Amino acid sequence: MSNLEITDEVLLAELKKRFEEKKKAIDDFQSLTAQLQEVNDKLTQSESLKSHFIANINNEIVNPFASVLGLSRSIMDSKSNDWERVHRLAKLIFTEAFQLDFQLKNIFAAAEIEAGRVYPQLSNIDVKHIILGIMSDFDSDLKAKKITYDIELDVETGDDQTFYFTADSEKLRLILANLINNSIKFSKGANIEIRIKHNNKDKNLIVSIKDYGIGISEHNQKIIFDRFTRLDTGINSINRGHGLGLSVVKAFLELFNGDIKIESQKGKGSTFTITIPEQQSDDEVTDFSSEGNEVFFGDGNDELF
Amino acid sequence: MKKLFLYPAAIFAEVEPTQVVTILGSCVAVCLWDPVLQIGGINHFMLPLWNGQGLASPRYGNIAIEKLLDKMLFLGSRRQDIKAKVFGGGEVIETSINQFRIGKRNIELAKELLQELKIPIISSSVGGKYGRKILFYTQTGEVRQRYVGKPKNTQNKFSTEIKTR
Repeated sequence: MSNLEITDEVLLAELKKRFEEKKKAIDDFQSLTAQLQEVNDKLTQSESLKSHFIANINNEIVNPFASVLGLSRSIMDSKSNDWERVHRLAKLIFTEAFQLDFQLKNIFAAAEIEAGRVYPQLSNIDVKHIILGIMSDFDSDLKAKKITYDIELDVETGDDQTFYFTADSEKLRLILANLINNSIKFSKGANIEIRIKHNNKDKNLIVSIKDYGIGISEHNQKIIFDRFTRLDTGINSINRGHGLGLSVVKAFLELFNGDIKIESQKGKGSTFTITIPEQQSDDEVTDFSSEGNEVFFGDGNDELF
Repeated sequence: MKKLFLYPAAIFAEVEPTQVVTILGSCVAVCLWDPVLQIGGINHFMLPLWNGQGLASPRYGNIAIEKLLDKMLFLGSRRQDIKAKVFGGGEVIETSINQFRIGKRNIELAKELLQELKIPIISSSVGGKYGRKILFYTQTGEVRQRYVGKPKNTQNKFSTEIKTR
């Protein structure tokens, strides 16, 4: 009988409330549909970029190969005493072959990541030494574009000779090589500042790479980590690349629970900062490693499925 | 027997009998097992859907499940023989915002996608508040599970709650 005692106001209020709930549900549904539409568009776009990519790597691989073949023929045809010429040609071959190797490393890394076959292989690495190695690989680009660089080491434990960080050296090298390669690609006649930071408190390795190049617009900062994205896909694009480098960087950092940040202003330059937490050189590196390692199987308390 | 620790965002499926260990928080692992060929495979994904950003890696459930199934088919399994077991998806970080309930969304994605692919889920242990450590024998399809970071005496009581849900 209590239902009959409901006043009109209460009834109206209740109806209004229900009506609003319905409206909210419809709004939610619409925003979800819009999100799905957006994801769908992105996937379609990604597929079309993929076919573009295949045409693109054809150039990336065939061209350097043609150069290497042509240049080595020139060496073979050189007079036996013309060392200067041979030296010059050998240097050109190295540059082409290095680029080829670098591109292939990115392509294979991306393929491995997408196939779910990436495992960190940890060792103690000398980060500064790795960066110096990368710099010497890019030597000819640095000279050609008149780019100078500084490397600053800001660590609490150790110095230039004794600072080591536990990580996957090959993957870290590829991450850094991609970032440095980009900095070189998009600057000219300026300095590149590389800073390695590590403190004893949070034990994160932070490497920042600052260039004074062309910079990246805010819109582009959001899409540069997507696969096959190249910001200058025009036919007269002077820069090489297949648009995989930064997506490989991002995926490797995710593997290490790391992070990447961009600060950039169009025309003024960009700073890429990567943060990598200390990796445990145990087999079982996960969020749960400390608790997880205490769990052993086979004492009769396991649940079977 | 070959032993392997499966990292997040990785996939494993091979003919050789293997004991695979992995640790799951809000991540979900789908074990696919073929009782006819006696082979199995497992993935470990962190987020439900790839949204077109970054690489299409098995970090995302839709990619991880499809790639794992592809691997099983490549190893010679027939689609109709394959069975699934699903683990993980605990809400190890408490939140009231639905969008952030990654564990729940991971579980839903796994169930929906497996249903769509017509692969039966023959057993599972999902949800809850704790992490899990699982051991998967690819040959027999057996999975052993332990909760991680949880008081010992509640170990078994808790799991029955989950199974009857």
